[in-house]
Amino acid sequence: MKKIWIIIEREYLTRVRKKTFVISTLLFPLLYIALIGGMGFIAEKSKETLTVAVIDYSGYFTKEAIAAENNVDPSSTLVLATNLPQENNKEDNGYDGYIAIPSLNWQQGNDSLILSTYKSYGSAATGVVESKLNRIWRRVLNDSLQLDVSKQAILVQSKIGLISRNISDQQANSATAEGIGYFAGFLVYFILLIYGSQVMMGVMEEKTNRIAEVIVSSVRPFQMMLGKILGIGAVALTQFLIWIIFVFVVYNVGVKSGTSMGFMAEAVGGIQRMMGSVNVPLILGCFAFYFLGGFFFYASLYGAIGSAVNEDMREAQSLSFPVTMLVILSIAVMTAAVANPTGPVAVWGSIIPFSSPIVMMARIPYGVPGTVPVWQLGLSMALLIAGFLTTVWFAGKIYRTGILMYGKKITWKEMIRWAFAKG
Amino acid sequence: MDSILSLKHLRKHFESQKAVDDISLEIERGQIFGLLGPNGAGKTTLIRMITGIFYPDQGEIFFEGKKFDPLIDVAKIGYMPEERGLYKKMKVGEQVLYLAQLKGLHKQEAKRKIENWFGRFGMESWWDKKVEDLSKGMGQKLQFVTTVLHDPSLIILDEPFSGLDPVNSNLIKDEIFRLAQGGSTIIFSTHRMEQVEEICNHIALVNKGQKILDSTVQEVKQQYKKHQYLITGRGLDKLAMEQAPFTPVSQKDNSLLIQIAAQPNSSTVLRFLLDQQVEITAFQEQLPSLNDIFIQSVGNTPTARTFEKN
Repeated sequence: MKKIWIIIEREYLTRVRKKTFVISTLLFPLLYIALIGGMGFIAEKSKETLTVAVIDYSGYFTKEAIAAENNVDPSSTLVLATNLPQENNKEDNGYDGYIAIPSLNWQQGNDSLILSTYKSYGSAATGVVESKLNRIWRRVLNDSLQLDVSKQAILVQSKIGLISRNISDQQANSATAEGIGYFAGFLVYFILLIYGSQVMMGVMEEKTNRIAEVIVSSVRPFQMMLGKILGIGAVALTQFLIWIIFVFVVYNVGVKSGTSMGFMAEAVGGIQRMMGSVNVPLILGCFAFYFLGGFFFYASLYGAIGSAVNEDMREAQSLSFPVTMLVILSIAVMTAAVANPTGPVAVWGSIIPFSSPIVMMARIPYGVPGTVPVWQLGLSMALLIAGFLTTVWFAGKIYRTGILMYGKKITWKEMIRWAFAKG
Repeated sequence: MDSILSLKHLRKHFESQKAVDDISLEIERGQIFGLLGPNGAGKTTLIRMITGIFYPDQGEIFFEGKKFDPLIDVAKIGYMPEERGLYKKMKVGEQVLYLAQLKGLHKQEAKRKIENWFGRFGMESWWDKKVEDLSKGMGQKLQFVTTVLHDPSLIILDEPFSGLDPVNSNLIKDEIFRLAQGGSTIIFSTHRMEQVEEICNHIALVNKGQKILDSTVQEVKQQYKKHQYLITGRGLDKLAMEQAPFTPVSQKDNSLLIQIAAQPNSSTVLRFLLDQQVEITAFQEQLPSLNDIFIQSVGNTPTARTFEKN
């Protein structure tokens, strides 16, 4: 097994010493944060503000009441109008829509007022209009019932709330768990795709450089394949350690300077609350397991493809398409699993080896054994180990035949036949 | 007979053809063995079984007297395949060191040997160069070094001179002789018959997955000889051909090519010539070249057998 070490060493060192490794280690966290932050930013930016005409026949919605509301929340404005707008577009009348309020009985209200608009708007925009009208209506009711400030306060504050709590796992906090689940699942997804294709490119390089035959006359093809996968896996792991250390340093600097900087204190406090609500060592441990297991599983498939194709990159892409689809499908299952971590899709998706690395990572933050029973975690891990041993073994056989085959276009059918060939 | 490698009834069948179909061979220690055959004859498949890349479907391989175990014995074999190359982006020194370690050498020992070989080939300044910056000929030399660096007892060279200029060809050729004298056995596979004639002492000819010839170069020539002699001398034009114990094939100036029957031996011919007052300056048997033998043995088979039917 000394030879596997030599191969791992070469695969690892040639990659880590490259400039691209340094650059990608620095850039990936920035891009990842920019991607997640950017999505939030775009969602915030794309929130629309409306200008709505209010034609009031009830007499309750006075100019003063509306002006007071517009002062409190300027995001969407209400304008008191006397007549229905004649023109049917914003350019001519200056409104995004209008509400005609009929004469109302204050004891009954009206729960089916209609906001007529010229375009369709999301609930975020119309919700603002609704809550403004409601607040005005609340004051009307306060006045009509002759409620003083103290009674109003009782009405507002006294209520019965309901929080669902998973009693078999005290740490589960669904909002945090959802966030961590998404984060971890997507991280595994990126690793599988990025490093999986690195294995494929590495094998292709050996084939196109015609060094494969020299090497398989010194080591077994299986050793070659395993060494390459382990070496590239070690590169991924190194990159991770660098990131974790980076986060740790930034966090500790944040804790030290937290008292002097307001937003840092807020962020540190947030992280502390979040870390307190989940089992950090368990998540990190499982992450390492699923990231490595999933990587071995997919990297060997990508490696087998790399050995079967010739120089042509398009050929590699079309052959690896089904494998890439499996990874993308896992993300779809993960989205369902985060929303409903105990549903059948989530449970089976986290047990079957080709989706378990991504899906299980999305479920674990909800808590073990509360949401994920121990038997499910154990079964999932055992199946993943069995799964990657199988794929590595099959890939080794495909690799052995493919690496010495030149100039021929290979199909999946043929690769499967190689995998089952004797000898 | 001390044979380093013995193949017994090896078979390897692929779906569309019998690549190697019952081949047995004995290769003696210290021999330079020529493995010849047309394209697609099964040479590469045979070599890949000897190097442990393929397992034979049937038959056995014995290496140094014991049953061949690829896991252990590959360390004693150096193989330079026809389709050869190196990692383009790697530095020359690291590359050779890596391949030597894969053959089981320790780092320090490998380094010492590399320095020794680089010195011999005048390649000391290459250590930090990248392989992609080497010329094709330089790459071939480097490839040769990586093949023999671990002092293998069996060296397999598939078309080792392709891409080399005459100077470097000679350099490699001298190394091959030197290694053989040092006790290494060399299997040499090529299509270039003049090189085989020059280098090998034993040959085997393979065609359609089967061995059709296996002996020393001299024996093969004897076997395929046509009993033709070339005579050079004065007075050949005045010969009384009616009584001659041979048939003239062609005559040119003062030389005569003759064909004799297998029975009257060359002494009879010489006596006749002396009796006829011919002043002989040379009398030599014309042996066929390996090239002729090659073409004669495999020429009538369709060269391109269907390799990969689909």
